[in-house]
Parts: sequence; structure tokens; C-alpha cells
Amino acid sequence: MLKNSLYRFYVKKVAFALFLLFIVLGNNSLRAQSLTVGQIDVDETALYAMTKQMSQFFSRFNNEEDQFGKKTWPSNPAYRNQEIRKERLPLLFDQQNPRTTGTLRDFFIDDLTKSDSSFLKFTGGRWYSEVSATFIFKGKEVQVILILMIEKENLGSKWVLTNIYFPTFSKMFPVTKMSDREKSFLHPMSHELDFMNIYKAFKEPEVIEYYASKAFKADYLSLFFYEVKLGNMKFKNVDKLKFHIFQIENWYFEVSYFNRSGNNSGWLISNLMYAPENEKENLLMFYQP
Amino acid sequence: MRKIQIILALMIGLFTTVNVQAQDDISPERKQAIDSLALEKVRDLSKYVSIIGSKNTAWSEANRVIDRAEELFMQGAEMGVSTLAKPEVDYYKVRQYFERLMRLNYDRVEIEWFKIEYVSDLQRQPDGTYVGVITIFQKFKGYDKEGGLVYEDTTKKDITVYVKRKETQIGGRIIGFWDVLLGDMRVKETSK
Repeated sequence: MLKNSLYRFYVKKVAFALFLLFIVLGNNSLRAQSLTVGQIDVDETALYAMTKQMSQFFSRFNNEEDQFGKKTWPSNPAYRNQEIRKERLPLLFDQQNPRTTGTLRDFFIDDLTKSDSSFLKFTGGRWYSEVSATFIFKGKEVQVILILMIEKENLGSKWVLTNIYFPTFSKMFPVTKMSDREKSFLHPMSHELDFMNIYKAFKEPEVIEYYASKAFKADYLSLFFYEVKLGNMKFKNVDKLKFHIFQIENWYFEVSYFNRSGNNSGWLISNLMYAPENEKENLLMFYQP
Repeated sequence: MRKIQIILALMIGLFTTVNVQAQDDISPERKQAIDSLALEKVRDLSKYVSIIGSKNTAWSEANRVIDRAEELFMQGAEMGVSTLAKPEVDYYKVRQYFERLMRLNYDRVEIEWFKIEYVSDLQRQPDGTYVGVITIFQKFKGYDKEGGLVYEDTTKKDITVYVKRKETQIGGRIIGFWDVLLGDMRVKETSK
């Protein structure tokens, strides 16, 4: 019985492959969803509405797919059509959050649909993944935030680490006032004494950075790699993922995953900020120091 | 069956070589054809999962189907599974995942697939291989001896798809074809 069903399945597969071959030869466009093996005849509206992948978030944001998730192409009048885009963009916001449902959202959508350059590009830079992960640091469970970005390499691209946030590291290099640092320096003639006074710098290890140049900035990623290489920091698991997008001129937004029922789920805009380009530079320092 | 697939893939390659050679970006038409090839693999996977999970499938038959299912995947591919109750991801090798499915402790199971499928854009990785993700949804129900429903869930499965342009020589002629293989799969329970 089962062998028969498998046989019928194989025959169907061959028939499908032949059908595919004719389509390819005829250079006709294929409907990706024309054939399915699904057996559930229930209301799938919520699943269609769900923004299932970040790839789909990009397509929907740019209005490059129809309401069934089928890709449209530049030859199609609906492709990136700003009127349709304006209607669909509100669906990409977390509708249970006042920060992403008010007038700021409407200004953002107005801005987006006015300009022909307000489209997201996968390899366009200025968008980052924030991965909250659990590590074991010196025997204890800790949370570390990893920041990653897409970087082009050879024939394609890949995700690369650009920064990390780990409170233990940040506390080592607190933001201090200039007045705190004023007493900690090596006078300018120290060299004449073979730096016999340099021991003072190491007497207070907690403020050793006061003896560094004012251009010094702690490189947390290097510290992190150091601890990983020493075996002090061991990966356990990924807890949460979100994205920070700076690609749209004068705007910043965050995209998070909402695993919930209803027609407003999946990858949605969870935070939105008006951020003039000159102010963005400061924000970007965290993501890509 | 495998041979038929290879021959078909080669035939497709034969007629598409001219269009594809030396191009970096995949044309929309080609992308749609590749999507269909990838979806066909995912549909095969869906069928295999249903057969392996079914309590009516004999042990030897299920093992044979696991072999077929394993052939769909790249070597070293893993399944990352999480549930609403346990968001931490458990990792399984492909074979291990199917063997667990085969041994599930229910008297009867129902595995059904939603019609919806989503295929991402294909992106190129540094070695030139194209990589995409196909999302599908599965409904699982487990029943006890009395026929009572004891467990059910709906899972979102995000399946990595690797697409590589390959060449082979047949009768002294270089023939190009697209090779599609599945990679890591993330299985996540959706909200009830």
C-alpha cells in the first residue's frame, strides 16, 4: 500500500519535473504557488499576512510583492507602486504599540512614498542585526548582545560581527569627566627620567585608560574575542533577534519578530525615530564603531 | 528516481546554458525556475516527513524514506528546534531529526501542511553559491490509544536552500545545470 503511494508520488514528481521543463523552455513565468502539497483547508489569512522572513519585510517595505507573497518585477506596473505601497506600509508596523501607530508613523510613510529613493537594499549597508545571546563567562551565564552587518566579499556577501555589548566590559571603561582624569598623567619630561614614574599608571588598574590618548576608545569586540580565545567566554544559545535599519534618509527604525495570532505578526517595525543624518552618525557609532 | 532527477536537471541546464553563462545576477525568469526547483525539493521533504511520521509506515520503509530525505540535504545540515514552552534551540542532525520523528510516542499522528509557502530572494555568498530560505508551515497532532488528542502544534519551518551552478561533461560537451540542495532548517512553534 505504502509502496504504491510512494510509486504514485514518484510518478507525480516526474510529471511535475517535465511540466517544469516545458515551462523553462517556453520561458514563461512560473507561479511559485501554483502547486502545493498542502492538505489543510483552513483559513490561512493570518499566515499570508504574517511577515515571515526579513526578506519578505524588505519586499513588502519596497512593495515588490503582491498580497499573496508572490514577487513582482520591474516590468509589472504594481512593482514599487507608491499608491499601493502607501496602503500596505501600515501593515508592517506593530499595531499594538503606540510608538509605531501614531502620527510619526504617518509622517514616515508620507516621506517614504514621496521619494523614489526610499527603498531598502539588502546589500545597501546601514542595517544591522542585534543578536541577544547567552554565554557562559567564567562559569556564569551572561547575556551578550552581538551586532552584525552584511559585508560584501568576493562573489557575494556575508554577515560579520561589528560590535558587542557586554555590561562587564562597559563598566570597565565608564564615561568619565575630564576633571577625573586631570590628576592622572605622565608629565611631559618623564622620558628624561627613563619613565621611572610610569609605575604610577599601573598602581590604579581601574583607571589605566586615563593614561591613554584622548583618542582612545575601548574596542569591545577585541576584548570579546580575547575572552573567547582564552576559553573564558563560551557560547550557549541565541535568545532574541532584532534589526536596526538606518538606510532611509533621516529615519531610523527597528524591526522585531512578533510570534502571535492575528493579522499583525512576524517581522514588524517595533520602534521608529526621526533621525537627521548628522545625528545618525552618533547612533551608528554603537553599531559600527 | 535520483537518476531521473539528475537527467531532468541536466536537460534544464542544457537549454539554459546560454542565458546563464557569465552572469552574476539571476534574471527574474531564471529565479522563478530555480524557486520552483527548490520548492519541489521542499515538497518532497514535506511528503517524506508525513510518511516517516505516520504510524502506518513500517519501520524498514520509514528508514528507506529517511535515506531519501537525507539526500535532499547538504552534508552537515542541522535542524534547530524550539517551542513556545522551551524557546531555547535544540540542534539535531538531519538523520537524528527524522529518527526522532519516527519514534514519537503517540498511538496515531496527523501531519498536515499548510498551502502557504514563501520563498526569499536569493543572495550570493562569498564563494558564489546562491542561498535562499523557504518558509512553510506544518500542523502536527498526536493522539493516544483512546483516540484523544494529547498534543498539537503548528510549526514554522525556515529551510535554507543552496543553489549552485554546476557543469558536467556529456559526450565531450560541457553542460551547465543548477544544483539545488537543502541546508539548515529552523523549526519554530507558532503562537496558538
